[in-house]
Amino acid sequence: MDSQIVEVLNVTRGVAWLPWAVSYFFLIGLSYGSFMLTLPYFVFGRAQHEKLGRLALLGALVCGLTAPVALLADLHGPGRFLNFYLHFQPQSWMSWGSFFIPIYVGGLLLYAWLVLRGDFAAQDRGGDSFHARLCRFAGRGGAAPRMAISAAALLTLIGAVLVALYTGMEVMVVRARPLWHTPFLPLQFAATAFAGAIGLSLLFNRVIGGHDTRLEIGLNRLLVLALAVVLMLGGGWLFVSLSGVSLSHSAAFNEVAGVPQWQLTAVWAALATILPMVLAIWRPASSGLITGLIAVHSAWMMRWTILIGGQSIPKTGAGLYDYHLPLGGDGLLGIVGTLGLWIALLLLMVDYLPWAGHAFASRNNKATNTLVADAVASH
Amino acid sequence: MIQSRRDFLRALPTITVGAALAPGPAIASTAREADGKHRWAMVVDVQKCIGCQACTVSCIMENAVPENSFRTIVSTYEVHQGGHAGTYMLPRLCNHCDNPPCIPVCPVGATFQRKDGVVVVDGDRCVGCAYCVQACPYDARFINHDTGKADKCTFCAQRIDAGLLPACVETCVGGARIFGDLKDPNSEVRRLVDQNKMKVLKPEMGTRPHVFYLGLDERFQGRVEGAGTLWQPSGRGE
Repeated sequence: MDSQIVEVLNVTRGVAWLPWAVSYFFLIGLSYGSFMLTLPYFVFGRAQHEKLGRLALLGALVCGLTAPVALLADLHGPGRFLNFYLHFQPQSWMSWGSFFIPIYVGGLLLYAWLVLRGDFAAQDRGGDSFHARLCRFAGRGGAAPRMAISAAALLTLIGAVLVALYTGMEVMVVRARPLWHTPFLPLQFAATAFAGAIGLSLLFNRVIGGHDTRLEIGLNRLLVLALAVVLMLGGGWLFVSLSGVSLSHSAAFNEVAGVPQWQLTAVWAALATILPMVLAIWRPASSGLITGLIAVHSAWMMRWTILIGGQSIPKTGAGLYDYHLPLGGDGLLGIVGTLGLWIALLLLMVDYLPWAGHAFASRNNKATNTLVADAVASH
Repeated sequence: MIQSRRDFLRALPTITVGAALAPGPAIASTAREADGKHRWAMVVDVQKCIGCQACTVSCIMENAVPENSFRTIVSTYEVHQGGHAGTYMLPRLCNHCDNPPCIPVCPVGATFQRKDGVVVVDGDRCVGCAYCVQACPYDARFINHDTGKADKCTFCAQRIDAGLLPACVETCVGGARIFGDLKDPNSEVRRLVDQNKMKVLKPEMGTRPHVFYLGLDERFQGRVEGAGTLWQPSGRGE
């Protein structure tokens, strides 16, 4: 017999993983994706990829240093974070993650220092200013040996793979949320992280890299490939959900399929993937700003939808929990604060790190700083 | 033998002193933490629940649960069927599962199961990462914003260790919540579980809950298909 149920009274569970968590997943993804883009130049010595390597290194560093701050802020008891290291739990992906993050970030800092050591030494022109002393200290010994750079790159690569693995698995193992409990999720996180990292390099190329057209074309081509993988994974999830081969996938699909805001999100996500692909193919030399922005936006939106949207689906109750972004530290202020830290670190690095190298720096050092300042002011 | 009302009143002091000195009911006299001799469980007789929320309120009072957070609540539904409308009440709480998915995810080992089956959180160790909140299939956990730690029903561990019943059981007006030791063959819980076809919430999750439901409608066993509630307080009582 047909029946209709209206929930009159039930508990509403607010989101427990806050927008801080979205910021973390977003930034750490952009960081390890950007790190991969540095390898062709710094490790494999492909000179034609120098600009990409240097811009991506900046992206990897600035995102990699901001991400753990956001993660720490997501803990409701951040002052007790030491317990992660005092009480290791091998059966918990999050516990492993607390060890993978320092491996990755530590490796990245070591790698960045080694690849820039020669540039630090080259910029040391004597004097007693902070910058001169920094260059003298960091550039001691001159250009680092190839073996040392390769070893640091390998350590960072292992850290990056482990971070990509744990961030995906940590969410995937949550069987209580069918939307999260899919083997597609770690792959989707990684694919959108790479697409976002390519997008970030496209933006850096425009804003602080002096708009290298050849680089823009190359990055746009790479972006098309990355977004194609994102589309395939999304299509794969949809196929498994609709075909009924997996009850958990079908349950996840049925939870959201009939909800108008989820339908809008699905259309938006598809457009945000297809549109930059079309633009990148159609105008590869001039669309970098918009394709880069959309790719970065997609990486954020995917994580927001999965993490915040996923938590708005009750596990036992009917309908959806309402989520309104709070204005304070648990919401908008947290996101803006993370962005502020990101911009401040970027400005410091652009000013104090010889990130642009010798030849590259002499071409756009002055213009770079002006452009960054303009970009920040326009925000 | 007490023959009259006067005899009864005369004997009252003796009865009172005797009751205070005598061992309590079976649950009270044998309750010892972590001895592995007990397996605490609850039977909820859905047909006896009148939705008064006395359990919800007593739990809040007993455990200092912050405003707009709940360790237990009676979910209430309006059901329209065949031209009739009725109300369905479903008390919800932590299921103290035998295979609790909240425990393995905890990155610091703060949440654990006592030998008597009660799942608890070590507040000194909890970092408030909320991973357990995500992993619980029953939405039974939440972050306590007063403490910044994971919070949940503990079967009122402080009360059962002292030989008392959980606050929700003590205050249940309709006698819908029955609490006891599954390992005690003479307990009411054991008898009910043995003699009735019990249901648990979301059995497909493989969590082996130890809150058993008597007379549970299948439509309410998993995620309820229906229109959502309009009353959605924020987590911090704002």
